[in-house]
Amino acid sequence: MKKYIIPVICILMAAAFSGCQKWKGEHMDIYSYTPPAANPVSDKAPLSCSSSGSTVIPVKGTMLTGKTYTVEDGCDLVINPTDTLLLQPGVRLNMGAGSSLIALGTLVSNGSKNQPNWITVPGIVKNDAPGGFTAAVDPAYAGKWKGIIGGPTCNLLVLRWTHVEYAGLTEGKATSTIAGSGTGNQYSILFANYKGNFIMEDSWLYGGIDDPIRISAGKIAIFRNTFEKNGVSGGDCLNAKGGTVGTMAYNMFIGTATNGQKASNKGQATGAPQTNIVMYNNTFVSGGYRQVQSGRGGCINFEEGAAGMYYNNVAINCKFGYRVVGSPVADVAHLSYGNNYQWADSLSVANQFYPTGYITQPQSTDIPSITTSAKYLPSNYTLGSIYDGSDVVQKNNPMFLNFPLPTVGHPLYQYNAIGNFNFRLLAGSPLIGKGNTTIKPLITVPLDKVYGLSDATLPGADLGAYQLNGSGNQH
Amino acid sequence: MKYTYFLYRLLLLFSICLLFSVSANAQTIRGKVTDTKTGEPLTGATVHLTQDGVSKFVAVNLNGAYSFKNLKNGPYKIQVNYVGYGPSKVREGNITSVNEVITVNVALQDADMQMTEIQVKAQTNKESDGAVRSIEKNAPMVINVLSANAIKLLPDVTVANALQRVSGVTIQRSASGEGRYAIIRGMDQRYNSTLVNGIKIPSPDAQYRFVPMDIFPSEMLERLEVIKALTPSMEGDAIGGVMNLVMKSAPSQFTFSANVSGGFSTLFSSSRPFVGFSASPNSKSPAAINGNSYAATYADFSNKALTSDKNISTPFSSTAGLTIGDRFLNKKLGVIVSASYQNIYRGSNSKQLTPNAQPSAIPLPNSPQFSDAYDRTYSTQTERVGIHNKIDYAINDKNKISLYNLYIHQSEFESRFTSDTLGLGLNSTGLSKQITISNRSMLTKQNIYNSTLHGDHWLGNEWRLNWDGVYSEATRHQPDRTEFFYDANKTLNNSGAVTAEVDNNTQLDHHWENNRDKDISGYANLIYTPKIAGKDVEFSAGGLYRHKVRDADYITYSLTGGKSTLFNNNFDAIPFAFNSAADGIGANNPDLQNNYHVRENDNAEYLQIKFDLFPKLQILGGVRIENTDLTYNTQSPETVTQRSGNIKYTDVLPSLHLKYQLTDNQNIRASYFAAISRPGFGEQVPYKVTGEYYDQVGNPYLKHITADNYDVRYEFFPGGADQLLLGSFYKKIYNPIEYFVVRNGGPSDQVIKPQNDPGNATNYGFEALATKFFGVIGFSINYTYTHSRITTNKLLYSNDPTLGLQQTNVNQTRPLQGQADHVGNASVLYKSAKLGLDMQLAFVYTGERLAQVSPYYNLDFYQHAYNQLDFSFEKTIAKRFSFYGKVNNITNAASKIYLKYPHGSLDAKQQEFLGKQDIAGQTLVQSDYYKTLFLGGFRYKL
Repeated sequence: MKKYIIPVICILMAAAFSGCQKWKGEHMDIYSYTPPAANPVSDKAPLSCSSSGSTVIPVKGTMLTGKTYTVEDGCDLVINPTDTLLLQPGVRLNMGAGSSLIALGTLVSNGSKNQPNWITVPGIVKNDAPGGFTAAVDPAYAGKWKGIIGGPTCNLLVLRWTHVEYAGLTEGKATSTIAGSGTGNQYSILFANYKGNFIMEDSWLYGGIDDPIRISAGKIAIFRNTFEKNGVSGGDCLNAKGGTVGTMAYNMFIGTATNGQKASNKGQATGAPQTNIVMYNNTFVSGGYRQVQSGRGGCINFEEGAAGMYYNNVAINCKFGYRVVGSPVADVAHLSYGNNYQWADSLSVANQFYPTGYITQPQSTDIPSITTSAKYLPSNYTLGSIYDGSDVVQKNNPMFLNFPLPTVGHPLYQYNAIGNFNFRLLAGSPLIGKGNTTIKPLITVPLDKVYGLSDATLPGADLGAYQLNGSGNQH
Repeated sequence: MKYTYFLYRLLLLFSICLLFSVSANAQTIRGKVTDTKTGEPLTGATVHLTQDGVSKFVAVNLNGAYSFKNLKNGPYKIQVNYVGYGPSKVREGNITSVNEVITVNVALQDADMQMTEIQVKAQTNKESDGAVRSIEKNAPMVINVLSANAIKLLPDVTVANALQRVSGVTIQRSASGEGRYAIIRGMDQRYNSTLVNGIKIPSPDAQYRFVPMDIFPSEMLERLEVIKALTPSMEGDAIGGVMNLVMKSAPSQFTFSANVSGGFSTLFSSSRPFVGFSASPNSKSPAAINGNSYAATYADFSNKALTSDKNISTPFSSTAGLTIGDRFLNKKLGVIVSASYQNIYRGSNSKQLTPNAQPSAIPLPNSPQFSDAYDRTYSTQTERVGIHNKIDYAINDKNKISLYNLYIHQSEFESRFTSDTLGLGLNSTGLSKQITISNRSMLTKQNIYNSTLHGDHWLGNEWRLNWDGVYSEATRHQPDRTEFFYDANKTLNNSGAVTAEVDNNTQLDHHWENNRDKDISGYANLIYTPKIAGKDVEFSAGGLYRHKVRDADYITYSLTGGKSTLFNNNFDAIPFAFNSAADGIGANNPDLQNNYHVRENDNAEYLQIKFDLFPKLQILGGVRIENTDLTYNTQSPETVTQRSGNIKYTDVLPSLHLKYQLTDNQNIRASYFAAISRPGFGEQVPYKVTGEYYDQVGNPYLKHITADNYDVRYEFFPGGADQLLLGSFYKKIYNPIEYFVVRNGGPSDQVIKPQNDPGNATNYGFEALATKFFGVIGFSINYTYTHSRITTNKLLYSNDPTLGLQQTNVNQTRPLQGQADHVGNASVLYKSAKLGLDMQLAFVYTGERLAQVSPYYNLDFYQHAYNQLDFSFEKTIAKRFSFYGKVNNITNAASKIYLKYPHGSLDAKQQEFLGKQDIAGQTLVQSDYYKTLFLGGFRYKL
């Protein structure tokens, strides 16, 4: 018996100590004064335009934590040029059918990890299983409301930890005239001020019709977001036009209609800078399959005078690989790229790793290696010519936490939402440690916890949006 | 089909044989036919000889001479008839000896003069060249006139094409090569106005105030006046000039003439057929039928305009005309009815490079970028019906009224087939070809109706009053313009066979566009002609009031073909639908601002004095005040700025015209006049049209254009149709309207907008015109030099070594759009009354001109110098019968458009597009071929 005493005591003591550790605690409840919002937006009744005779609901002030606001069908919620609308964390903004949110002044949706904001349409049932809905009946592509428009005088538009869903209805005459945009636009988010700042971090964009996010011009920072079911039969998910400068990093795209990220200098306005976009550590899965036009891209695209760089990206089963366009030519003198990974279930995907007809220059840091075999990029390979990719099909399995490759059971175009999939890396993934960490983000927006970019995550060592050390995309 | 072509050739050969059937010489009667009062030769008058119960007819030639040869001995009777003149007395005589030559000169008296003196003063309405020379000579202002006789002999069947024969006038062509708008002395159509019998008519154009001149059949005209300097009594909105269409007026006696002709264009063959189509049954859009909230579906549309396409290898054009006139009630009541029908098949083969919206900054700044190389074939069937009638009634010696009615209808069926040149396209490679096809069927119906009640009253010896009450309507309908696009990628194997095809885009557009103008106007002029200090002085005062209402609607429905079904020439197989069901709702139509209503009330008053300061120096001067009051409303929602507006302005327009008579047949003129040009409705209303580069939107803040105009001219009228005119002009144009690229809200949302250029434009030049007859052969040449300059802001897209690619604004000085430095006409005329044969070979030269202004620096489109050679003839083949023919574009001249960018500097990928190039320093971007058009027919004249 005696021989048990010491261990028992030890166990008891250990238990007691650990128990005591458990009991040990510190609680501070110190009064902190937050001045009440001066202009709280009332949630008592829906925000309505029907009594005014026009479609406009002017709005400014603060939408308060925990409250739900409703916008009447067909109304344009407008933030006038000198006004600000701040959504505190945990706000739900229910958009009526055919409504829009137009920021001519400042719009900040300041959601948080624990209290994300929602700008959505209530009562819609999602089905994110592969093949669960056909595109024709999927509410993601129905364009329930028009979207968020940062007009030509919008100086700051921030979406932080915010869900934006079901937008993309055609703007139409009234909305586009107020917003200074285009009647035919079907963008979930439009930003069009090269002097203004568009910041989107840790947010989600679900659904859409045409380009889910069109940056006509602007200073941008788009970090750590998740994009699902974007674009019904065309549209580049993040489509930046002439006069757009900034960074797109750690974004996760699945099932984009066309490209995930595109940069072009088309339409550069007088006084606006040349489009220059740094893209790194983005993950693209099954991109480009709802764009039926051929040769339109499925992950990253640089064209028509755009400068910038793209490194450390991952493209899984995208219809077309990273694409640099030769005519109208991208600003190839100021465009660099490397350390980009691609995976192909099938030969047709592998044959477009370097898309036929374009001028993407294979890089020695690319995975699969450009010297994999004599067939894959033969010595006489010229840019844009046809090659035999059979030796790189299903090579270098990325070892995602939950996304078995090669895919089984569904055609590639049906993988268009995250659902239960998880694209974090397992230890041993060939993506780990292959990143270029010497490149720098291009930060053109103010850095600020609320009225700016809260975290400019630097390029990561692991390819794709999720880092083994937990940094990168937080979703 | 080859057989019919052979028939035409036979017909042509036969007619050429007829031309030279000359009779032998023997006894002869000859003479001259002149106007009693003016002594002008009356070219075209008919001389009727009866001898031994046999009648012979000849027409009087340009010198006023006629002759009958190969006559027998014996008694004869001669009588001369001419439209607008009373018949001559019957001259009787006797030929007694072989080879005797008898001269019978006949002077005809003006029918109007016989009737009342008022008419002579009120109008000069003769159709001969000589008569129009006297109008040109006697007019107080600078004017050029084409007579009905000259028009009849022209190779042209529309007024637009006839206008190019007038000194200083060039024409702008439609896609099928038909002249459409006139550019007068380098001033494009916006600067010119169109009158019918001196009364302004509204335009059926969708956006502008100018009238398309191809809708008027030229045979309805008594004469065509181009007035280049305005007097105070004329409306002031013509900086370039006024085209006054003077229609045929009632004759002095029963007149009947008819003509019928047929022809064909050599463009069409079994390998390049004319493509005809039947109009869509849906003359109204679903929104127009069911209301703006109705959600249209594919079932609401008919594709008949495309599916009814039918190939015709040699379509047969035809024209017919009929004029009946008479005078009743002791010649107090005159009536004329004239109708014209034309059904013309034309077309063109066009090669076109489509430029991208934006050039490239690499390799050179503003390097053009082409996205497609299109082969387009146009087939255009134009049906024109014109009918007009004039009734004049002399109540008594002092009072006369007339009623004029004009109805013009034009239906233009245009089918356009576009195919991408296979193997080109930016995204094409050796084994993968991108192809684009697009077919469009477009019916455009235009109508003009005008009814004018005119009165002339002689109030004592020195006072006269005339007035007009006018109702006019102009409409244009484009019902269900149907366009189909198909864009696909084809994968080829090594032997070139297609192994796979991917549908990139299948789109179907149905478009409706209508506008209607209704004008109610009243004009009144009071003329006082006292003698002051022994001199005749003419004071006039008057004014006009016009109430105009214009309504326009516009809607486009775009359906998509689902992209999964390949197109194999079968529309029914494609599951067209709206992208989103909401797109089928009329209220969601993005072009609601194009549904507009305009009300314009204009009034104008003037004071004018005309007197001879010295016996040979005539002075006409005065001032005119024009008030414009325009209100517009669009269907845009309340939140749309500029959705409605009111614009008012007043102009004071002085003018002074001096005419110094050097001798009886020589004048020197000098004139100054101020004029305005009102913006088009589509420019002033925030109207939006989708453009090739940028969308174009209207600008309600647009100011109207004003101008100071100076003219000098020397004139010499040696007699007959001969003339020599030497003139020079200078115009200073303020607030000229030019098209600029501007930001429409967002920095990269740029549109083309008409704006008043802060810099003024200048336009100067000189004109020379000479016509000389040597017996039966005449030569006519005219030449105009024009120099205009305007400086506008353009975009330059370039590669800055430090800032990277930059878009900046730079100024560029260029000519006004449409202006050619050198413009000329030359024609050789043969007019033999003896052979009963008139012939004309007409040559038109239009120098290089700015066809389209680009928003980008140095990327304007220039039309290369264009030459066209036309031939026409008329031969009397029997009593009252003549055969005539018109041959257009004998040399198959091409219209070619260039960019002034060296094509060798384009990048290698772009070089694939170019096709055949012929000018090293330029890039040929468009060429249109129309081929030769033949028309032959018969004319009967009583």
